[in-house]
Amino acid sequence: MGIEKLSDFVYSKTKRNKSLNKGGPTIMKKKKLISLLLVASMAFSLAACGSSGGDDKDADKGGDEKTLKVAAVETAYGADMWKEVCSAFEKSHEGVKVELTIDKKLEDVINPQMKSGEYPDVILRAVGAESGITETFVKDNNLVDLTDVLDMTVPGEEVTVGDKILPGFVENTITNPYGDGKTYLMPMFYGPCGLFYNAGLFEEKGWDVPTTWDEMWALGDKAKEEGIALFTYPTTGYFDAFFYALMHETMGDDFSKALTYEDGIWDTEGAKQAFDIVAKLATYTEKTTPANANDNDFRKNQQLVLDNKALFMPNGNWVIGEMEDAPKADGFEWGFTALPAVKEGGERASYTFFEQIWMPAEAKEQDLGKEFIAYLYSDEAAKIFFDKGGAVQPIEGMSDMITDDNTKLYYSIYDTGAVAVMDAFAATEPIEGLTTRSTFFDPVNSLVTGDKTEQDWIDQIKADSAKFHEALK
Amino acid sequence: MKARKGKGLFVFCCLAPAAILFIVFMILPTIDIFRMSMFKWGGYTDNKTFVGLDNFKILFKSDKFYQAFQNSILLIVLVTLVTFTFALVFAYILSREKIKGKTFFSVIFYIPNILSVVVISAIFSAIYDPNLGLLNSFLNLFKGAENPTLWLGDQKIVIYSIVIALVWQAIGYYMVMYMASMANVPESLYESAALEGAGKIRQFFTITIPLIWTNIRTTLTFFVISTINMSFLLVKAMTNGGPDGASNVFLSYMYQEAYTNSSYGYGMAIGVMVFLFSFALAGILNVATKRQEIEF
Repeated sequence: MGIEKLSDFVYSKTKRNKSLNKGGPTIMKKKKLISLLLVASMAFSLAACGSSGGDDKDADKGGDEKTLKVAAVETAYGADMWKEVCSAFEKSHEGVKVELTIDKKLEDVINPQMKSGEYPDVILRAVGAESGITETFVKDNNLVDLTDVLDMTVPGEEVTVGDKILPGFVENTITNPYGDGKTYLMPMFYGPCGLFYNAGLFEEKGWDVPTTWDEMWALGDKAKEEGIALFTYPTTGYFDAFFYALMHETMGDDFSKALTYEDGIWDTEGAKQAFDIVAKLATYTEKTTPANANDNDFRKNQQLVLDNKALFMPNGNWVIGEMEDAPKADGFEWGFTALPAVKEGGERASYTFFEQIWMPAEAKEQDLGKEFIAYLYSDEAAKIFFDKGGAVQPIEGMSDMITDDNTKLYYSIYDTGAVAVMDAFAATEPIEGLTTRSTFFDPVNSLVTGDKTEQDWIDQIKADSAKFHEALK
Repeated sequence: MKARKGKGLFVFCCLAPAAILFIVFMILPTIDIFRMSMFKWGGYTDNKTFVGLDNFKILFKSDKFYQAFQNSILLIVLVTLVTFTFALVFAYILSREKIKGKTFFSVIFYIPNILSVVVISAIFSAIYDPNLGLLNSFLNLFKGAENPTLWLGDQKIVIYSIVIALVWQAIGYYMVMYMASMANVPESLYESAALEGAGKIRQFFTITIPLIWTNIRTTLTFFVISTINMSFLLVKAMTNGGPDGASNVFLSYMYQEAYTNSSYGYGMAIGVMVFLFSFALAGILNVATKRQEIEF
C-alpha cells in the first residue's frame, strides 16, 4: 500500500468514525423511539385483549338490542349459508343481532373464550368430532334441556318443531343422551352413510351390487381374480356408522342393549355375527389400507375406489365433494348402497349421519337461542341451507326442495327399503384412557395387518365394555 | 451505601420484567399442570372434581400409557444414538477434511432443520407410501410388488419409520453445532498428534471428542427435549398415533386424552409424568457425562 493510499485509508476511516460518532446520538434516539413505540404497541395490544370482554358487556347494556352468539363449525357445506340464515333471522326478529362465529377449527376459536367465561349461546358441532367438544358437554351435564323447543311453533309457520322434524330424529341416543326422554341436542343436516362404489365398473364387468353378505364374499373372490380388492376404508373412524348399521342388522332387538354395553351382550349370536363379518371383511380389505388410514392420508384410501383398486368403502355423501378434483378411472360413476343383508330378504341398514345443534348451560340468551333453533327448522331457513350449501334438514317437505337427481339418489335410499339407523353408543362419564373408537374401531387396522386376531378384538371389547357400562350416565 | 442501594434498585428494575414474565409464563403454568393433574375435568366447562392421585393410579395401570412410554424411550435412545453418531462423524469430516463443496454439504444437511414439521411429514408420507412411495418403488426392484411393506401401516415397523424421519430432520442441526466447536480446537494439537504418528481415527477420539465434550453434554439434553417434542409433531401429522395406537408417544397420548377424550385432568397427569421423566433423564445424563473440563 503506497503512502498516499495509506493516508487515504486512514482518512476515510477517521471520516467514517466521525460520521459514526455524529450519528451516534441520533441512532440512540431512534432506538429509544422505536423501543418506546414497541412498548406502547404491546401495552395497547394487551389492553385491547383484556378489554374485549368488557366491550361486549357494554353492548349488552346499551339499548334494547339483544345479541345472540352463534358458533358453527364450517364443514363442506361452506360458511355462506350460515351467514345468510343469521341475517334472515335478524330480519324477521327486530332488535336481535346475531354474532356468528364460523370456523373449520371451531374449538380453537371458542375454547379460549369459554375458558374465560364467554360461552356462545348456540353451538353447532356434531358428536364424533376429533375434539370431542360435544361429548364433553354431554358428559359434564352442561347442556340446556331443549325438549320445550319441540313444542314451540316454527317462527312464521303454524306447525310445531316436533311435528316438523322427521320421525326418529329426536328419539335416539344422540339427541336424548341420558335416556330420560329429554332432548338436549337438536338434529341438523343429515345424510345417509353406506357403501360407496364405482357404478361404472360394475356395469362394465357385468357385476351385480350384492344384496347379502354371502353375495358380497362371492363378489370379493371374483374381484380378487382381477386384482381388485373387495373393500377399503378411509380411516377406522368411518367404522362407527358402518358398525352401528351392521349391528342393527345382526342383533335386531338387542341393538339398543349393545349401545348401553349391557352385560353379556357381546356373547350373543347377533354380536358374534357382526364381529365375524368385520373380521372376514378385514381379510378382503386392500392390503395397504392401514398405512394410509390416518387423517393425513385417508384420501389415498378413497382414491383406491376411484382407481378401481378396491370395490367398496364405507362413507358419507361428503366424499363426492372431497374427491371432486381427484383423478378417476374411465367411466367412473358414483354408486351408493346400503349394507348387504345378513340373509336373503333380511334387513338392509344405512346409518344416518346428522349434525347437532345445542346450547351450553352457561348460555346467556337461552330463550332467544331456543327461538333461533326453532327458526332453523322453518322452510325459509331450510331453503337457504339447501340452496347455499346443499345441506339437507331433517324436516317434512324437504324432499320437495331437492331437485337435482344426484342428491335425490342418496336421500331416496330409505325409500328403497333400507332401514335408517340413527343411534350411537350411549354417553358415559369420561373414562381415562378409553374411547369407543380405540376399543371398537381402531383395532380393525390390526385385524387387517394381522397384528390382532378376531378373538383379541372381542376380548378387548368385552373388557372395556364392562368399564363403559359402569360409567353409564 | 446510598449509591449501593441505588444500584440495587437499578439491577432489580432491570431484572424484574424478565423475571416476572418468566414466573407468569413458565413457573405458574407448570405449577398449574401439577394442580390440574389432580382433577377430573373435561376441559371445556367449569365442572371440576378433585380426585387426588386417582389420575396417576389409572395411568400406572394403563397399557396404552406404557406403550406410549416405550415408544418414547425407544425414540429418545435410537434417535439420540444415531443422530449423535452421524452428526459427529459428518461434522468431523466436514471440518477436518479438505473436500470440495464443504459449505454446500453443510447447507444441504442443515436444510431439513429449516423445514416445518408439516413439510417433513408430507415428504416422508410420500416416501413411505406403500404403492407409489420412493422407498417401496426402490425395494420392489428386488422383491417384487406383491407384498408391499407398510411403513406407516405395520404396527411393528411404524415407530422405526418415525425414527428415520426424526434422524433425518435432526442431523443437520447437531452437525452444525459440533462443527462450530470443532473449529475452535487448535490446529497445532492435530499437527503434533500427526507427527507423533496418530491416525485420523485416533485423533478423533483423543483430541476432538475430549475437547468438544462440554458441547456434546449440552446437546445430549437437547436430544431428550427435542425428541420428545418433535416426535409428537411428526406422529400427529403422519399417523396420529395409529395404526391402533402403535405409534403413540408421550405427548400424542396426552393430547388424545386431554383434547379428544374429555379427560383433561388425566392428560395433565401424563404431562406431569413427561415433565418428571425428561427432567430426571436430563439430570442423569448430566451427571453421567460429567468429566473434568479440558482447557486448551
